[in-house]
Order: sequence, then structure tokens, then C-alpha cells
Amino acid sequence: MGFIKNSNIRTVFLLAFSMCVLLSIPAFAQSTADTSVQATAGTDTAGTVGNADTASTVAVTGDTPAPDTAAGGTTVDEAIGVTSVATAEGDQPLDLDPQVYQNAFYYVLLVLLICILIVVVGRIWQIYELTRRMAGKDTTYYMHNIHATLFLVCLIVGLYGVYWSYVHHGAQSMRDAATEHGERIDLMFMITTVITTIVLVLTHIGLFGFAFKYRATPQRKAYFYPHNNTIEKVWTIVPAIVLTVLVLFGFFTWRSITNVPEEDQKNALHIEVIGEQFTWTVRYPGRDGVIGERNYRLTTPLNNLGIDFNDKNSWDDQLGSEIVLPVNKPVRVQISSKDILHSFYIPDFRVQMNAVPGMKTYFQFTPTITTEEMRDRLGDYNYDYVMLCAKICGGGHYNMQKKVRVVTEEEYREWLNEQPYFFTEDLRKEFQVSEATANEGSEKLLANAN
Amino acid sequence: MIAMARYTQDKEELTQQKAKKFNLWLGMIGMFMMFAALSSGFIVYTAGGADRGIKTLLPDAFIYSTVLIVVSSVTMQMAYAAAKRTAFGRQKLLLLVTIALGIGFFAMQVHAWGVLSDRGVVFVNSNASQSFIYVFTGMHLAHIIAGLAVLARALVGRIRNIPQVNNVFRMDLAALFWHFLGILWIYIYVFLLLNQ
Amino acid sequence: MSTIGNASIHSVDHHGGHGHHHESFWTKYVFSQDHKMIAKQFLVTGIVMAVIAMLLSILFRIQLAWPDKEFPILELFLGKWAEGGRIHPEFFLALVTIHGTIMVFFVLTAGLSGTFANLLIPYQLGARDMASPFMNMLSYWFFFAACVVMIASFFVESGPASAGWTIYPPLSAVPKAISGSAAGMTLWLISMTLFIVSQVLGGTNYISTVLNMRTKGMDLWKMPLTIWALFLTAIVGLLSFPVLVSAVVLLVFDRSFGTSFYLSDLVVQGQILPNEGGSPILFQHLFWFLGHPEVYIVLMPALGLTSEVISTNSRKPIFGYHAMVYSLIGITVLSFIVWGHHMFVTGMNPFLGGVFMITTLIIAVPSAVKVFNYLATLWRGNIRFTPAMLFAIGMVSFFISGGLTGIFLGNSALDINLHDTYFVVAHFHLVMGSASIFGMLCGVYHWFPKMFGRMMNEKLGYLHFWVTFIGAYLVFFPMHFMGIDGVPRRYYSFTEFPFMDKWISVNEFVTWAAIIAALGQLAFIWNFFSSIWFGKRATQNPWSSNTLEWTTPVEHFHGNWPGEIPTVYRWPYDYSKPGHHEDFIPQTVPFSETMSSNLPHDFEGNQEAERIQREWELANKPQPEKEAE
Ligand code: HEM
Ligand SMILES: [Cu+2]
Ligand SMILES: [Cu+2]
Repeated sequence: MGFIKNSNIRTVFLLAFSMCVLLSIPAFAQSTADTSVQATAGTDTAGTVGNADTASTVAVTGDTPAPDTAAGGTTVDEAIGVTSVATAEGDQPLDLDPQVYQNAFYYVLLVLLICILIVVVGRIWQIYELTRRMAGKDTTYYMHNIHATLFLVCLIVGLYGVYWSYVHHGAQSMRDAATEHGERIDLMFMITTVITTIVLVLTHIGLFGFAFKYRATPQRKAYFYPHNNTIEKVWTIVPAIVLTVLVLFGFFTWRSITNVPEEDQKNALHIEVIGEQFTWTVRYPGRDGVIGERNYRLTTPLNNLGIDFNDKNSWDDQLGSEIVLPVNKPVRVQISSKDILHSFYIPDFRVQMNAVPGMKTYFQFTPTITTEEMRDRLGDYNYDYVMLCAKICGGGHYNMQKKVRVVTEEEYREWLNEQPYFFTEDLRKEFQVSEATANEGSEKLLANAN
Repeated sequence: MIAMARYTQDKEELTQQKAKKFNLWLGMIGMFMMFAALSSGFIVYTAGGADRGIKTLLPDAFIYSTVLIVVSSVTMQMAYAAAKRTAFGRQKLLLLVTIALGIGFFAMQVHAWGVLSDRGVVFVNSNASQSFIYVFTGMHLAHIIAGLAVLARALVGRIRNIPQVNNVFRMDLAALFWHFLGILWIYIYVFLLLNQ
Repeated sequence: MSTIGNASIHSVDHHGGHGHHHESFWTKYVFSQDHKMIAKQFLVTGIVMAVIAMLLSILFRIQLAWPDKEFPILELFLGKWAEGGRIHPEFFLALVTIHGTIMVFFVLTAGLSGTFANLLIPYQLGARDMASPFMNMLSYWFFFAACVVMIASFFVESGPASAGWTIYPPLSAVPKAISGSAAGMTLWLISMTLFIVSQVLGGTNYISTVLNMRTKGMDLWKMPLTIWALFLTAIVGLLSFPVLVSAVVLLVFDRSFGTSFYLSDLVVQGQILPNEGGSPILFQHLFWFLGHPEVYIVLMPALGLTSEVISTNSRKPIFGYHAMVYSLIGITVLSFIVWGHHMFVTGMNPFLGGVFMITTLIIAVPSAVKVFNYLATLWRGNIRFTPAMLFAIGMVSFFISGGLTGIFLGNSALDINLHDTYFVVAHFHLVMGSASIFGMLCGVYHWFPKMFGRMMNEKLGYLHFWVTFIGAYLVFFPMHFMGIDGVPRRYYSFTEFPFMDKWISVNEFVTWAAIIAALGQLAFIWNFFSSIWFGKRATQNPWSSNTLEWTTPVEHFHGNWPGEIPTVYRWPYDYSKPGHHEDFIPQTVPFSETMSSNLPHDFEGNQEAERIQREWELANKPQPEKEAE
């Protein structure tokens, strides 16, 4: 048994040492000065705590042969020697509270102690096995029993864990969908969950159950059973059927969400949401109900979306301070991005669509629950729908949000009246100037071309 | 015993050679996949808007380079045949001709780039379909460089007078690869012609 | 390369591969062309990279668990990236990116396929080495170079690549958008190109070896499932990695030459970029055309290794060998037509999304067949719980759980709400972060004696398994619920949204589970490296296994078998065959030596053999018991 040979104190020290080396790998990213500082710190604490550590080591593993402990000691000494040299050379150490090192060192120590504990347990086990062997008892099959039992325990605890998660975490994470199509998605989600949970439970009962039941014993010989075409056909066809049902259901739901008839598209309220690092801008179409064109080349500090004011549709476009939507009215969101990819995501609505620079994407949905109602349902009077960015977009990705409110039609109108226009006085002036130069420019271009 | 061992050893060597040649086939499949990906990228991109597409006639230089590479394939095949017939002088000569034609092909492609950019069809272009022409030809030229290296290796083997088995084997691989490069070019050319 | 390694044959070794007989340190341990040594090099490099990637993950887990605490010690290690003891948001993304890249490509692609394809293909097929040992060596050194470049990106001023392992442009193309997209991204691209070269060199070799260098009698249907899996993996790799080259080349042009393949209409931080007319979606198509097959490149070797281990340790033939092979083939083919499921919400044509959803869910069928066959293999077995077996069982469990969550994601309608959330993180960590890693560990424990001639410590193996198995479930299972709640992935902290508050405590729990599971790996690392030198010496066939590698001597030498390569007579799964005195019959044992256990279908319709068998049975009453079918 290799364990006896391996399980001495040297092992433990080497383990800890290698762990320190591993831990310091990211440190290579920094200048050597920093690394040496860390080493010094280690030394300091080693001075104070290290001895106690060695002592306790000896205490814990009373049966360890003495020479090994000595060897361990030398390792530490050597380490100290090396690091103190490094300190002498290190310049400008980072100023950190020594407490920091101590805390870190305590953790290392803890790990060390656990390692020692494991070694001790290992040795005790070793001795136990030895006594078994000497008593003429079996030394392999009892091991199989242990693992088989552990698998059984795992099965029971695991299934309970799944149940617990569903009940607790599941309850935390499922909220009513606040849109029409969201309810359909949720229904399908529930069906899929039920089916997959059944499969999960049955297969795991099989997996761990067989592992338990058919653990090796000296008497048993495995049953030579290379194949059975009927069974194999059955378990190809049954999943195929179940999946076909899911596919069909999913396909029609998907089509109903994404394939909106022209007519309905026209009747919806159109708004535009534009992502940029790390904010969203919301544009309402104004009285004409049409969102004006944008051209990124027209971007200026004032016209920061690059709205093309040659397109008269854009003149009455309004800037929404947040996304406010009238309840029970279809909304068609036009999504795009100024810089890189973002993703327009409203979890409560079961709505997500990427914002792609240079391309417009759309998502049409109908909110069915006002914010007020949702608050009532949840009993949380600060609750708000929120739109967030779901596509990695840089350092501020984790905080790129916009509040979403679903309100009654009247409230919506009221709110909308207060929203400012994009085409402000300043912009008007700028536009007139630029229009003049643009005309000139294009004339020049024409002249050149001819 | 010794004869037996020798026999198995020869057989193992033969399997090795077969396997190496097979490696080359697989490598060619890989290279082809790369160009297939570029082609589908081109198609997807070009289909994405009316203002995309090659929108220019491919320069005539491409026709000449096609001729060059086809001829070089023929000379390569002749060199291989010569190697098999142990006509070493002829093999050497034909290899040299093939290499020369290969270099000619290279030069012709670069010339074609010149023609294109004179027309304003440059690499850095807001119509990436046009940039794709450079990517296709450029990636192909990178392979041509590798092909020339393989040819040179066969030539060096010939000059160093390596054993005939190895000589033929090298020539076999070189010819295969060179033909592949020719066919690859024809594929690219036809693909671009169909989309011009 | 005809190294036969037998004294009597050396004398006639006139032509061909000289040079391997007098190996220096350099040719033996460093620039080795021996498949076994290359396998070990891949494995050790893979383990080192795995440890690095794991430490990165612990760093970002710490950030997620304690978003408002300061850890001054981090500043010590990371300097400006953890100013004030708090990880910088962009550095967090760099950590996530490099963690993902290393784990997916360097550990689970190169570390897994590279190790076991190199080790097992020649061994289990009865070949002296790979088709081209030289290419094989190159493959390793390209991989090594790729690793070095990737790690080197931590040293550049602007930090390593941070656009996610999928490096979607424009984020990855515009240094202004994130500093990791400057020099760090360049290094990432260089590293990945080297990596692809390595994979293509290796992959062609694997395929060619499997097709050309099988020993006598080893027809395709006698190959162990490991070989089938590694073979199909290599095919998938050969067809998909070159596509990534194309994607990367175009990205390089966009980044460095100002072309516009992927870029258009960009105003980054107030500055209008000149690029015009490109399409970011094009990159995603090209990337996922590789990316999805890539996930099966990661999974299939694990399936192959565990099939072998489960069969050996259940002392039972793998159930439905043919069905297993056909499902692998099915997965191989289907994996090329499902890539669109990563792009359901990119604004891709919705009808196309529907088609991709259908193909995606079809791929669950062969996966299900595999699971059931695993279960049937365990059924009525005589299961020995070696550490390898434990990991194999764990792998099946993770494969089930992860595959089932795939069914949610593959459904485009459900994916609307789950895309880019923690649900996806949970899914792929179960199915590849856990299942594939378990497959790899299972392989390491099982073939360690073959690689190093020594045994690993079993008890530490047990400890390692239970800590990792439970740890992985505790880490990844709760993430599903965060995803369902709508928490996006790659979020630096959960502090900015009221609805995420409830997950902070869960995050803390997950981080502790991750730390403990990570510490559990110490048991493995220690066990692995100490056993190389101090492990108990292995016997030739420690697991009583049937496959050819266990017929080679424990001592390694170039050429694998002294004397002739053995001939193969039977499939690799004759375990516990009724009528035989032992519970295994190696592939090299001819049927003439096992008359008492031969079954009619063993002879594949060879009438002569059947006649001999009948005669023998008549002569040797009592007849062998008939198996109830
Ligand atoms: C039953 C079979 C499977 C199905 C139906 C499935 C489905 C999916 C789907 C639809 C996604 C995209 C989710 C999204 O981004 O919204 C996904 C992501 C992923 N899957 Fe699977 N999957 C399956 C098996 C696997 C396997 C076997 C692996 C790897 C060994 C795997 C690895 C991944 C990875 C890495 C991602 C995430 C990629 C990323 O966005 O970073 N999947 N899977
Ligand atoms: Cu974002
Ligand atoms: Cu996929």
C-alpha cells in the first residue's frame, strides 16, 4: 500500500508548499517586487506562528517518525532563508496591514491542518486494514460496500436536495410572466421541467441504485448481456417521441412569438431602444407613431444617437427617461446598438433580443400586468420590472439597466407628454448649419464624380 | 528468422508510408474546410445587402495564373513519372520548371492585386466582398509557399540522391499536394467568377 | 520509423528509422516522438493549465461571493487589477475569458484528446506508434507554445483578452471598448492559431493511424469504444477547426488592417470608427460552426473513456456496442448542423431558428441512447469501485443532468429567457465542466499504470472523487435557478439590481463549495505527481482488462511490443463470458482457446468455425449452458 509510504509529514509540508507556489502563480503578472513582499510577510508570520504550527503538527500526529518532522522543519528554514534574501532586494513594498498576511496565513494553516488530519485518518485506516488482513478478513470487498452505500446515500440526499432546490430556489426564481407570450413560455417551461425531472429521477435511481445493488461481491459473476435489440429500439424511439412532442410545441410557440403578421406589427406601439457602453437610450416615436432614421455618421456630442433629422419622422421623436408601456397593448421594440453587442433583456417579460451595431432587431410583445399589480402580487412595494444587458459588453456590463414600468393607458399618455423631444433648439441650429454644408459637400462630390 | 523480421519490417514501413500519404489527404481536407468556411462567409455576407458583392471584373491576370498553375501541374506529373522511371536528370529539370512556374504564379497573383487596387478595389474596403478577394487569394498564396517548400524538399532529396523508394515517395506527396493547390485555385477562381 | 525494439531485429534494421535507439535526454523526454511520452506531455501540460484556470475561477468566485468586501491580499498578487483589494470589473471579465478559454481548449480539448488519443490509439489498435510521430511531436510543441502565449497575455500592460471565450466582435475588435482587446486579444488570437495548428496536426495523425495502422484482426467493429470516440472526435476537429482559422483570420484583418468583415456603424465612446458594412453576426456563424462541434470534441472522448472503464469495472460487456457506435456517429454528424442554437436571439431569421431548434433536440436522442446503455451495462454487473469507476459513474450522472438542461436551452422559445443567463453557465459546466472533466480524470486513474508503470493511491482517489462530485453539484446546481430568475452571466457583481439580492447568499455558498472542491484537487495533484515516482509498482494488467494496451510490458520503450504485434481475434468486451474460467478474455485470445465459452454469433457466419465449435461441443458434454436471451 503506497499510502504508508506517502503518508508522512514531509508529504504535508510539500503539499502546503506546492499550494503556496500554485497560489502565487497569478502573482507572476506583477513585478517581482510584489512577490517578494508577499514572501516576506509569509516569513514574518512564519516566525511567530510557524513554530507553534510545527509544534501542533507534532502533537497531532504523535505517531509520526521524528526524522520526518525534522525534514519538514528544514524545509521551512530553507524557505525563510531564501525569502529574506529576496526581501533585501525588493524595493518599494506595497503598504499593507500585517493583519492581512496573518489572516491569509491562518487559512493556509487551516488547510495544512486538514491535510494532516487526512493523513492521520489515512494511516488509521491503513492500520485498520492491516488488522483486517491479519484477521483473515477481506480487504477489497468491504471497500466496495462503502462506496455502494455512499452512492445510495447520495441518491437519497441528492433527490431530497433536488426537491429542496425546486421548492426554495425554484420559488425564488419563478415569477409570473408579465406578458402574453411569456405565459406560453412558462407553460412550456413547466412541461419541460416535469418531463426532465422525471427522467432525472428515474435515471439516477437506475444509476446509483445499480451501483449499490450490483456492487462486487466474491460470489457474484456479472451477467453476460451484450445487447438486446428490442430494448434498444424502445429506448431510442421513446425519447424520440417525447422530444418530437417538445419540438412541435416549442416550434409553434417560437413561431407565434417571432412571426408576427404585418398587420399586427403596424398596429403595435413602436419604440426604439439603443444600447451603448453602458447605458440604454429609449426613443418614443412621437405623434406620427414612426421612429425616424439614424445614421451613425451624424453622431455629434449634441446628437449623440446620430438621429438623421433629414427624415422628418424623427422631428417629433421623444426621449424616454425610462421604458413606460401601456398595459395590454402590443409593443414592438426596435433594438440596436451604437457601439458593440448588447442584449435587451427583460426577465419578467420573457423578452430578449441582441442589440447589434449596424442592424435593427425587433421584438414584439404585449405586457399584461401593470407594475402596480405585480407589486400587489408579490407583496413587495418597491418591486420594479427592469431591463438589463445580457451580452458581455465591457466593464460596466453588470450595471447597464433601465427601469421598465407598465401602466394604464392614461398614465402612459400623461407620462409621455412630459418626455422631451430629441430635436432640441440647439440641434435645430446645428442641423440647419450642417444641412447647408452637406448640400455643398454633396454638390462637390457630384462635381468630382462627373 | 531474420528474413521474417525483415519482411514484417518492410511491411510496417509500407503501412507507415501509406499512413503518411493519408495524412496529407486529411490535411488537404482540413485546408479545404478553411476555404469552404471562407466561401460560406462570403455568401452569407454578400447576401446581406444589395450594396455588397464583388462588383468588378476579375483581372485577366487570374486567367494567366490559372494557365501557369495548370501547366505546372502537368510538369509536376511528368517529373513524378520521370522519378518512377529513374530518369533522374529529367526529374530534376522538370521539378525546377515546376518551381519556376509556381513562382510565376505567385508573381502573377501579386500583379493581379496591383491591377485590382489600381481600380480602387482595395483590401480595406467598406464592401467586404471585395476584401474577400484578397483573403481568398492571399490565403491560397500562403499555401503556395508551403507547396513550394514541399517541391524544394523533393528537389533537395533528388540532389542528395536519397534512396529511390524515398525519392518516389516524396515526389508522390509533392505531386499530390501541388495538384491539390491547383485544384484549390481553380475552385476559388470559379467561385469568384460565379459571384462577380 | 520501424523501431522494433527487439535485440534480434536490431541487427537487420538497415533502412528507415534509425536514431530512436540511442535516445538522448532531449529526444527521450523533450522532443520525443514516442506517442506515450507525448501523451504524458499533453497530460502534464493539461493538468498545469487546469490548475491555473481553476485558480482564476476561484478569484472571480471570490468577487461574486463578497462583492463589497476588500481583500488586500489580492492587490498584492494582482496589483492594479485589484486596486484596494477589489477585482477590477474589466479584470473580472479577463478572468472569466481566460478561464473559459483554457478550460475548453487547453484542458478539455488538448489535455483530454491529446493525452488519450496519443496514448490509446497506438496501444489499443496494436500499432508501434502514430502514422507520423514527427507531426505528433510538432502537435505537442505547437500546443505548448499556445499555452505559453496564452499565459503570457497576463503580463501585458493592458491585460489579457476579456471579451469572453467566444470573443464576439466588435468587443474583441475594438480596444477602445475594453482594454483587454488591445495586446491581450492579439496574444489570444496568436495562441489560438498555434493551438489550431496543433489540433490539426494531431487530428490528422489520429485519423490516419486508426484507418491505416490497426494490427491484424482489428477490424473497425473490434475497436474499443475509446478508439471510436477518439477517432470521431478527430474527424469533428479536422472539419471544424479550420473554420475557426477563417473566423480568426478575418478578425485579425479587422483588428490590424482596418477591414470591415465584422464591423459596421460603430461609435465607440463618442468616436466614429471608419469601419463600415461588416456583420458581427457573420463571426458568430463562423465561430459556432466550430464552437458547437467543439463541445462534442470535448465530450466524446470522455464518453469513450468511460464506456471502457464502466465495462471493465462492471465486468460486463458494454451494452449495445453497435448502438453506442452509431450514437457517436449520429452525434458527430448532427453536431455540424446545430450551431444556430447559440444564436436564437441574435436577430437571425426566426424560421432558421426553428430549424436549428429541431436539429438540436434531435441530438438529444443519441445522447439518451448512450445514457440508457450505460445504465444497462451497470445492471447485473459485478461492480468494482476503483477510483476510475467512481469518476465514470459521476460522469454519467453529470451527463444526464447537463443533457437535460440542454433540452431547455435547445428549445428556442425557452431560450429567449435563458440565453446568456446563469442557466447556460450551469448547463455547460455540468455537461462539460463536470462530465468531461470526470471523463478525463477517470481516464487518468485508469491508465495511470500504463503511462507511468505505477499505481495511484486509491484512498486519495476516493477522497478526490467524493469531494469533487459533491462539490461540483453544489456549485453548479443552484446556478440554474439564478438563470431562471434572469441573472445574466458574466456579471461582475449582483449588487446593482434589487432582484438579485436574494442570490448573493447563494453565491457565497457556491463560492465556498468551489473553494472546497478546488482544495479537493490537491488530493489529486499530490496523488498524481507523487505516484509517478513513489507509487506502488503496477502489474501488467492491473484491472484485468481485455484491450491490447495491457498486453504490452510495463516498462516503456519505443515500439510498444517486443517482437511481433499481437493479433486480435475478438471484440474487446468479453467480460464474464459464461463458460470461461476467468471473468475476462483479452482480445488476443483466439476462439480456439476458449471453446467452452464461445457463442454462435462470435463467428460472424464463419461456417468452418461454427462446425468445429459444434463438434467440440458434442465431444465435450455437458454442453455449456444456454443463455436466456
Ligand atoms: C442534449 C444535448 C444538448 C443540447 C440540446 C444542448 C443545447 C445547448 C444550447 C441550446 C445552448 C445555447 C444556450 C444559450 O447560449 O442560450 C447550449 C450551450 C452550451 N452547451 Fe449545450 N447542449 C447539449 C449538450 C452539450 C454538451 C454535450 C456540451 C459539451 C460537452 C455542451 C456544451 C455547451 C456549451 C459550452 C454551451 C455554452 C456556450 C456559450 O455560450 O458560452 N452542450 N447548449
Ligand atoms: Cu452588456
Ligand atoms: Cu451548442
